[in-house]
Amino acid sequence: MSTTTETAEPRRRVTLWQRLPVVHQLRQSVGLQRGMLIAGLIITGIFLLTAIFAPLIAPYGFSQLRDADGVSFGAQVPPGGAHLLGTTVGGYDVLSRVIWGSQTALGVIVVAVVLSIFAGVILGLISGYIGGWLDRVLVVIADAVFAFPTLLLAIVAAIAISGGQSSLFGGILAAAISITVVYIPQYFRVIRAETVRIKSEAYVESAKVVGSSTGRIMFRHVLRNATRTLPLLFTLNSSEAILTLAGLGFLGFGIQPTAAAEWGYDLNRSISDVTSGIWWTSVFPGLAIVLVVLGITLVGESLNDLADPRLRTRRKASAVPAPTAETSAVLEGTDPNS
Amino acid sequence: MTSASKKRVLGAFAGTAVFALALAGCAASGGDTGGDTSSDSLIVGTTDKVTFIDPAGSYDNGSFAIMNQVYPFLLNSPQGTSDVEPDIAVSAEYTSPTEYTVVLKDGLKFANGHDLTSSDVVFSFERQLTIADENGPSVLLGNIDKVEATDDKTVVFTLKNGDDQTFAQILSSPAAPIVDEEVFSATEVTPDADIVAGNAFAGQYVITSYDFNNLVSFEANPEYQGVLGAAKTKNIDLKYYTDAANLKLDVQEGNIDVAHRSLSATDVADLQGNDNVNVVVGPGGEIRYIVFNFNTQPYGATTAEADPAKALAVRQAVADLVDRQEISDQVYKGTYLPLYSYVPDGLTGATQVLKDLYGDGNGGPDADKAAAVLADAGVTTPVALNLQYNPDHYGESSGDEYALVKSQLEASGLFTVNLQSTEWVTYSKDRTADLYPAYQLGWFPDYSDADNYLTPFFTTNNFLANHYDNQEVNQLIVDQATEQDPATRQSDIEEIQAKVAADLSTVPLLQGSQIAVTGKDVTGAVLDGSFKFRYGSLVKG
Amino acid sequence: MTTTATTALGPTGSAPAARRPRGGGGGLLRFIIVRFLLIFPTIFILVTMVFVLMRSIGDPITASLGGRLTADQLAERIHSAGYDRPIIVQYVEYIGQIFTGNFGTAISDGRPVLQLLVTYGGATLELAFYALIVAFIVGIPLGMLAAYLRDKWPDAVLRVFAILCYATPVFFAGLLLKLVFSVWLKVLPVAGRASTRTELNMSKLGDRRTGIYLIDAIQLGSPAAIGDVLQHAVLPGLALGLLTAGVFLRLVRTNVIGTLSMDYVDAARSRGVSEYRLVRRHAYKPALVPIITVIGLQIAMLLGGAVLTETTFEWKGLGFKLAEYLTARDFVAVQGIVTLLAVIVALSNFIVDVIAALIDPRVRY
Repeated sequence: MSTTTETAEPRRRVTLWQRLPVVHQLRQSVGLQRGMLIAGLIITGIFLLTAIFAPLIAPYGFSQLRDADGVSFGAQVPPGGAHLLGTTVGGYDVLSRVIWGSQTALGVIVVAVVLSIFAGVILGLISGYIGGWLDRVLVVIADAVFAFPTLLLAIVAAIAISGGQSSLFGGILAAAISITVVYIPQYFRVIRAETVRIKSEAYVESAKVVGSSTGRIMFRHVLRNATRTLPLLFTLNSSEAILTLAGLGFLGFGIQPTAAAEWGYDLNRSISDVTSGIWWTSVFPGLAIVLVVLGITLVGESLNDLADPRLRTRRKASAVPAPTAETSAVLEGTDPNS
Repeated sequence: MTSASKKRVLGAFAGTAVFALALAGCAASGGDTGGDTSSDSLIVGTTDKVTFIDPAGSYDNGSFAIMNQVYPFLLNSPQGTSDVEPDIAVSAEYTSPTEYTVVLKDGLKFANGHDLTSSDVVFSFERQLTIADENGPSVLLGNIDKVEATDDKTVVFTLKNGDDQTFAQILSSPAAPIVDEEVFSATEVTPDADIVAGNAFAGQYVITSYDFNNLVSFEANPEYQGVLGAAKTKNIDLKYYTDAANLKLDVQEGNIDVAHRSLSATDVADLQGNDNVNVVVGPGGEIRYIVFNFNTQPYGATTAEADPAKALAVRQAVADLVDRQEISDQVYKGTYLPLYSYVPDGLTGATQVLKDLYGDGNGGPDADKAAAVLADAGVTTPVALNLQYNPDHYGESSGDEYALVKSQLEASGLFTVNLQSTEWVTYSKDRTADLYPAYQLGWFPDYSDADNYLTPFFTTNNFLANHYDNQEVNQLIVDQATEQDPATRQSDIEEIQAKVAADLSTVPLLQGSQIAVTGKDVTGAVLDGSFKFRYGSLVKG
Repeated sequence: MTTTATTALGPTGSAPAARRPRGGGGGLLRFIIVRFLLIFPTIFILVTMVFVLMRSIGDPITASLGGRLTADQLAERIHSAGYDRPIIVQYVEYIGQIFTGNFGTAISDGRPVLQLLVTYGGATLELAFYALIVAFIVGIPLGMLAAYLRDKWPDAVLRVFAILCYATPVFFAGLLLKLVFSVWLKVLPVAGRASTRTELNMSKLGDRRTGIYLIDAIQLGSPAAIGDVLQHAVLPGLALGLLTAGVFLRLVRTNVIGTLSMDYVDAARSRGVSEYRLVRRHAYKPALVPIITVIGLQIAMLLGGAVLTETTFEWKGLGFKLAEYLTARDFVAVQGIVTLLAVIVALSNFIVDVIAALIDPRVRY
């Protein structure tokens, strides 16, 4: 989609693909923009570290109800003492649930994003490059899936995929796959559009003339250039994955507490706590969701700004009179959060 | 950029903000829509859902709650008891072992002016059996062979099995509201709109306005002459909620006068400490229990190491270890109470037999006893137990409840519990397909009689399909159902509970309480063993 | 939601560039016709998808009676209802019905699906309307402000605000809003669309009821009723509206900045036109074009996607009912509602694409 910077510097794009871009853009950024990027990176970093080291950080297990001596925690215990953030209505330790919840969230993000990228990118590439009837059919299907209310598709998919079972990996997988189903069309659309555009670029044409095979052209030339927008898409879909997971949990179609800690579920169970003046069971998982989505989105937006000369802080004008910032145009509409 | 221009821009934004605030303020000051709430009307809130107000088309709490206000019954329980008396009848009794004869009162009328005669009664039951809707309660009428009117006021029910002691209760059940034959269809479920338009009501109230699952308005019915007496409050509005937290907030803030079914345990506990409302608690008919599949449980009949004695020891150990009081306190905050038998407290014949047989003898758990039981039977510990529960049918606390059960069983070191949950539709199919060795289930009674907690559960072809089969129990259940002498029947019922408690086909855990929350100035909310909540006794002010 | 919506690309406008050689024949009319015809396969695919998915997650009979009946009794009832027939037979039957305009009757509560759509569609439409108002009032001026104060601290604050709007799950926001405005300040109602008294008065309207409460209240001619309805609309409107406002804010900011850096704006600037005038006159209008098209999409999404908002605030609309019917495994109702949503979404995408094509000829294919 983007018509912003693709023509210049093929070398830089290689490094971009090699995941140097965040560093590159961090150096490229200045002022507030840099501040936002750094803030986003820090929040995201804390989230990642928490998720990875959850077993070490969390004082208790996510489904632990008694301490080592077999004494029950008790339900809705206020913050303080052995339970820094109190306990939930079910008698779980809030702090531990919040920390373990990051692991579930990360698991779902990773599985969902990896699956959507693979399926979406391959389909988009093939559809865009080969074109014709296949392309048309795929576009129509993608549009149809796109038009399906996100959360409802996720609910139905979650039930269908798990067969109704809620287990540790089953639950994560079901949530992730259901989110994937929703997001494949987005990746598909971005990559397809990029592919269609790049296909007619000079260097692809010349590769054809030289006699490169279709597969080689697709993967060597087109894919490498078409995936340039993926990091941005990636951050956006990560945050949407978290919100969809929380929405599923909130509506009662998510992961059960004994299978894994999940923020949406905890929030759902805390509704009546809030109205009874028990604030700690909802505020912390709620904040966790808000913070993680905030962090990831800050990174995503900053990357987007920096990729777009008109939005980049340093200079004002640019020679690119492009249709406005198409880089990120693809994501409107799906709304796990409404 | 000049500072002046900047100010203008900022001013424009500020203006927008003020406008937005003004809008909000204006809306806020819109205030009450006038009119003080005089004592001839009050608002009831519920999270129940209605399907149909036609008795032939629905078999659920929400629909029955409405039917109880607007339809009369041949027999009904006066407030405060679960025992039935003639409602719009003057007498109802067995005139021969297979003939149950009901004589109606004189001059009964529907609110629309139509006469209520024996022909309407026959019509009401025959249409249930004819329509036999898949969502309807006609299954309750399985014992009826035929219904005949012998004169304008007399109806004779001919039964397949004589002396059915539950039949009087069935005549007050969801299958038995009396409807107007001139309004209802004989062959299909009648749409709500037709019923309301036809004003085909003869209970304490009539429905004057019906907004499906949103708002129902009732008005006292002057024609009602039944056992419940005339309604005390003229107008009742019934408002439907989906989120219990919203219901709680509205009753707490005085926006509604009564909240009935279902507030969360946390809400109830909070409201109990609130001076603006009264929390009314009554015995509930709802029970929760763990079912054991006699084939697939550890050492079950179809497992590799089948051994009935060891299997029994496993069930007994579970019964020894569960701490019902802890579940009741921690998860349900007293809105569910410990249940120590199969027939819940409040019904004739209920015992507490499991309290004596298992645990510390006082209802508490006893890990040593459980360890001894398992050791005596030669069971190697820890026993691996697959326990299933359902998160979306028995309330959102099920997950907490079973997490606690798991933790109680494992704390002893005697069990390792693999706890799993499955959504309701799959769960319902899988549980009868021998997939779950031990699983959660709940029950809400069709009518207030001990039989309803025995026959469906412990006869050979029970709905649990857990392969429990005890011919003695079977025979006793058949006996009590037709036993004419109340004292003998009660001792039969007690004996059944003792025998099943020894076998432990299921381990009963909890009994629900009925809870209603009313504004401080509202009286007359009665929650009794009939499990019917009548608006007719509510008074405000 | 659309954190990043920037251009007019609707779902179907996915590939504006170079689908056909530029300037190729056909022109606008041809584009519109082709684009219109594409609506039908979209709807068809959705209907098929929802049909297959719903059959794969269980039947309504087990959902309602699974805890009371034996397996044999259940199987018998399922058989008599015909749900055990081959799925293809049921599918052909359903498609046949749809073509005759018969959406069937909801299984779980026996309401005709068309009636459901009318009853609950109005509520959803109304909520979407309020949400859009909030989104406009909050999103557009703040977006312009952010662009105007670009890279200064208010800009950063506004951008973080926009992200927060999007990052806060609507049920969490709803909870906090209720706590503050209903429980502490006691100025706004907890939930619902109107107070009991107002709803009772409205029921007197009979056939003139539209299901859109604001209109009904106006029909009643009672200022109290109108106030009551508006009062109930504030919190849900805010919760859903802020979500959308975050999107608008970002969209407006990006587009205004984009146009501010255009050559002609630079030219104006060099002529000494004030920055305020630049924003108002030169940057505002061009920036609004993509916004309008995004709004088209937002409407479709608001109609279909507001499940969580409607659930949190007892707003008895389509999304709310859809979740309810899903739990009951009521295929007929779910299929009907999703089909309607599909039609709405497909139509608004079509309109958006046509507008985009009118504005920017390159989009045509």
